[in-house]
Amino acid sequence: MHHALRRHAPFWLSIFAGLAIWEVAGRSTSAAFMVPFTTTLVRLWQLVVSGGFFTALLDSSELFLTGFVLAVAVGLPVGLLLARVRILRVGVEPYIMTLYATPMVALIPFILSMMGFGFAPKVLVVFLFAVFPVLYNTVEGARSIKPELIEVAKSFRSSEWALWREVMLPYTLPYTMTGVRQAIGRALVGMIAAEFFLSSTGLGQLIMIASQNFDTGGVFASILIIGLIGVGLMRLGLMLEQHFARWRQ
Amino acid sequence: MTSQPTATVPSPAIADAEPRIRVRGLGKHYGALEVFKNIDFDVGPREIVAIVGPSGCGKTTLLRCIDGLLPHDAGEIMVGNERVTEPIAGVAMVFQHFGLFPWKTVTENVAYGLRMAGAPKAEIERKVPEFIKLVGLAGFEKAFPYQMSGGMQQRCGLARALAIEPNVLLMDEPFAAVDAQTREILQFELLRIWEERPTAMIFVTHSIEEAVLLGHRVIVLKGRPSSIHENIVIDLPEPRTRETLQLPRFAELRERVWSTLMREAREAEFVLER
Repeated sequence: MHHALRRHAPFWLSIFAGLAIWEVAGRSTSAAFMVPFTTTLVRLWQLVVSGGFFTALLDSSELFLTGFVLAVAVGLPVGLLLARVRILRVGVEPYIMTLYATPMVALIPFILSMMGFGFAPKVLVVFLFAVFPVLYNTVEGARSIKPELIEVAKSFRSSEWALWREVMLPYTLPYTMTGVRQAIGRALVGMIAAEFFLSSTGLGQLIMIASQNFDTGGVFASILIIGLIGVGLMRLGLMLEQHFARWRQ
Repeated sequence: MTSQPTATVPSPAIADAEPRIRVRGLGKHYGALEVFKNIDFDVGPREIVAIVGPSGCGKTTLLRCIDGLLPHDAGEIMVGNERVTEPIAGVAMVFQHFGLFPWKTVTENVAYGLRMAGAPKAEIERKVPEFIKLVGLAGFEKAFPYQMSGGMQQRCGLARALAIEPNVLLMDEPFAAVDAQTREILQFELLRIWEERPTAMIFVTHSIEEAVLLGHRVIVLKGRPSSIHENIVIDLPEPRTRETLQLPRFAELRERVWSTLMREAREAEFVLER
């Protein structure tokens, strides 16, 4: 009990100090630039009560989940395939590396002119933000598989499908999960970027509207929520990663 | 260079039966490098043939050809009535590196071969505990490979191979990666298990002692490309036990294999790699 207190004390002290600084800084700055923590909480509560907040959260979640799930559903199998088929990998790798290195925000005007303002282009933005870390980590993971294990599978007359299911997939999943964890953060950025630059919806719209109305409390409340969601999702990603890596020392 | 009369006498273990494995005129290249050539030997259905040879003589490659993991360039390999061109049913291999799947528990690893062979679920559930017990791993069913010592891991590898009830066991230096004491224990465990469930077995090793202790015959591979230099019948009483190691005949046979092998090994040690 005492130990736990001592261990967690710096964490809570730091949080408390951060909020205190925010509060003081907010109170001594014009409300046009910044509002204190307490005002932010009050504004957040108003948004929750009015229902606008939950509608925005739901919209954003739908966008985030669709794009993110698609990214994993594509990144994982394609990654395994690229690791297994050399000729495909050599052909596709330069494009993957280029796209992975390209700041995805730069593609948004192009996506806008190609696909317009619907739900689909926004999903595409989230997907593009999230897919490359999944794909890249899957390829790297699957390629590092020990040839001995493939040999064991062959010796026991494994079919190609069983080799994927029993050997390649479980071996690669911890690597993929590292990519998934990175993808969560990037998908969140993609989500907000899509909501800013394509049709304005969700939490992104909440920030935009608040900003246009000089509602600094609303801006801070939205940012606070997005940040907390990000932290929660990162935690989830880390747990997933650890779950699938139990067998690695 | 004494000529031993035993060298041409067929092993009692194979005298009464059709060979299970028949290797004829086998040759293998890696590009321009010829690994071995003109390999001829048989293994009876209840016979252990040990293969020894200096490092790099291709004994492990030979075993992989027999398992169908590697293609051969000349000659043929028959297991029963089947010509080996790819891994075939009824043949199981135990690997020097154990080859356990690190994300699978002991139970899941032992079940692997059976599942790949398409065994029904009920059969898998019945056999897996039986073979885990046979190799002495009862109580460790849920352990992951990283939690186990090398000896325990190889017991698991052995159980996985035995579980498919193969009629041919291929042992690729299975005890080379464990410490000396564990190695000795595992040798006698293997003999006990083999007495209980005899199969045709090819046991590749670089330990002369191990080859003589386990083998009914010892094949000595030599040269570059290597070929069978001698095929020595090990006429030691059975079952082989710790006492076998004390027999004068054991020492004689060990010296015999040693002198055959060492003449070449000394020369090989000072040959530069091409």
